[in-house]
Amino acid sequence: MVDGEPARRAAGDLESDVLAALWAADRPLTPGETVEAIGGGLAYTTVQTILVRLLGKGVLQRELVGRAFAYSPVLDQAGIVASRMRAVLDSGGDHEAVLSRFLGTLSDDEEHALVELMTRRGRDLS
Amino acid sequence: MTVLVLAVTVVAGAVFGATAPRLSRRLPPAAATWLMSAGGMLAAAASSTALALVGFRVVAQTRPLTSRGHWSDAVLNQDDPVSTPISVAALTVLAVALGAGLHAVLTGVRSTLAAYQLAAEVGGGELHVLDTAQASALAVPGRHGRIVVTSGLLRRLDAPQRRALLAHERAHLRHRHHLHQTATMIAVALNPLLRPLRAAVRLSCERWADEDAAAVSPRGTVAQALLRAAGAGAAAPAPVLAAAVDDVADRIAALELPAPRMQVGRAAVLVCVVVAAVAAVGYGMHRTEDVFELAQAAWRAGRR
Repeated sequence: MVDGEPARRAAGDLESDVLAALWAADRPLTPGETVEAIGGGLAYTTVQTILVRLLGKGVLQRELVGRAFAYSPVLDQAGIVASRMRAVLDSGGDHEAVLSRFLGTLSDDEEHALVELMTRRGRDLS
Repeated sequence: MTVLVLAVTVVAGAVFGATAPRLSRRLPPAAATWLMSAGGMLAAAASSTALALVGFRVVAQTRPLTSRGHWSDAVLNQDDPVSTPISVAALTVLAVALGAGLHAVLTGVRSTLAAYQLAAEVGGGELHVLDTAQASALAVPGRHGRIVVTSGLLRRLDAPQRRALLAHERAHLRHRHHLHQTATMIAVALNPLLRPLRAAVRLSCERWADEDAAAVSPRGTVAQALLRAAGAGAAAPAPVLAAAVDDVADRIAALELPAPRMQVGRAAVLVCVVVAAVAAVGYGMHRTEDVFELAQAAWRAGRR
């Protein structure tokens, strides 16, 4: 649960948006490119502040691209957490009930079945 | 009388388990989740208590208790006849149910503690990204809940879809869905007739999070995020839910309709079933107390 006053909670949300956008990008982004990547809606200075804050937390790194800084996520944070997650998931107990997944991982067959179901309902899967 | 009370709770449990999943799909998912998790717990408590009331008869008639309790057997058998085999059967079922319930509680506690520990270890901010091609997103409850998403999933989504995904995961944490799911697990362990509630609560929690996401993103965007997340998977030999396909289809269909409004009739049906079970048990406990008082008085008057 993200607690704290509303202002701090919103800042945490914005940090997540920025971090997610940088991970989704295929190269480091300047603050201006980051604003675009999150779909606009935030001021350039706000985004720049967030990028610098994330840099300070060690979550992002930056490099000079031309005359501007471009930010990208620090990659090595995956290793420790991934192995801890594996350890937790392997430790038994009912994780299905406690860890909510966005989507139960689908096998190829189930993906196929889903596409068929959706097509039958006349949906456009693009 | 106590046997009748037990029968009522058994029927109520069966009816609740059979109808709640279907009825609650038409309800706003938040209400559906609360109705099923809290209703399930109450129904399970009712059936367990009813079993105890029936089972108590044979216990009350054992030598150590009768010499201490001084109840007239004749009065007991007249006012509330409970045959010994039935009483023994009830005790046996209760023992199994309590064992299963305790196991479910311990499992739930263990899993929750593991999640809290993981959330604390992940540290940092709200979002943590795992650099892997497999598409996955998890909400990890904790003192400070975390959202763990893979880069593989983030790369499949555009900005509005990412926002929808994060809003969805935040909702799981904010509404403490893990508590609803664990509570349902315990209820099902105590009363297996409630088994269908487990999958139903899992679905309603997802739809609840979808609705929260739809409050900050267009419903179509949330649906698209779901579809994109389900898209061509990388090699992922992760355990798969057979029900996953139906759940996703249900969720997308629900997002293509406007947000569901409260339907008092359907909710009332579910509430009535649970109230019936609880009321029956309340009555049963009250009457049992009366019967034993009468039997006690009769003993003192010399009737055995």
